[in-house]
Amino acid sequence: MNGWLAAACALLLVGFLPTLLAMCTGSVRRRVLAQNLATVLAALALLLLSQGWARSSYTDMALVLAVLGPVGTLIYERLLGEELRADRPSRRVTRTMTVLSVAPVPVVVVPVCVAATPGRTTLKLLFIAGLLVAGSALCTRALTTPPGGDGSHG
Amino acid sequence: MVRRLAAAAEVAAWWVVLTGLWLVLIQSVDTLECGVGASAALFAAYGGRAARRAAVRR
Repeated sequence: MNGWLAAACALLLVGFLPTLLAMCTGSVRRRVLAQNLATVLAALALLLLSQGWARSSYTDMALVLAVLGPVGTLIYERLLGEELRADRPSRRVTRTMTVLSVAPVPVVVVPVCVAATPGRTTLKLLFIAGLLVAGSALCTRALTTPPGGDGSHG
Repeated sequence: MVRRLAAAAEVAAWWVVLTGLWLVLIQSVDTLECGVGASAALFAAYGGRAARRAAVRR
């Protein structure tokens, strides 16, 4: 096992597993937020695994997840709109969830970019990182901000 | 005439961006891949323009 695989295991155990547990328990909003975070963490784990096993096809899986993850979350947001509007989260929850879903992206992508062969691979990784950051930030905002509001309702 | 030119320019801009994206994301760059990518990007460029106009009209 090399360092990349160890990092992927750590990410799956410390990040992905708790989000899976959070998806199984609690309110609807908490479950959907956890589901959104889980797609980001799974994509990052796939990037680490692609580097650890030197299989570029895993990067494609991460790309697919980065595209489809936010789409799935936004569909949930549309379908569960009534329940999501029922309990509005505090500003702190919004901020924490945004940080939790955006902060791990550069922490994983920057080392993978440094280790990868410079060129198209780097651009591809940066594109995936951009999708992950934009998608998760957008979804967290959509899930925590009441329609027409700025998320400041306590 | 100006509207048509603007529409063509927008589709061309979408096409350039999407073809570039295709070339960045594929595994190996060869002639067949470039042809397929350019064709797919042309369809997607019309789709992109239609989606933007639908979003603006809302």
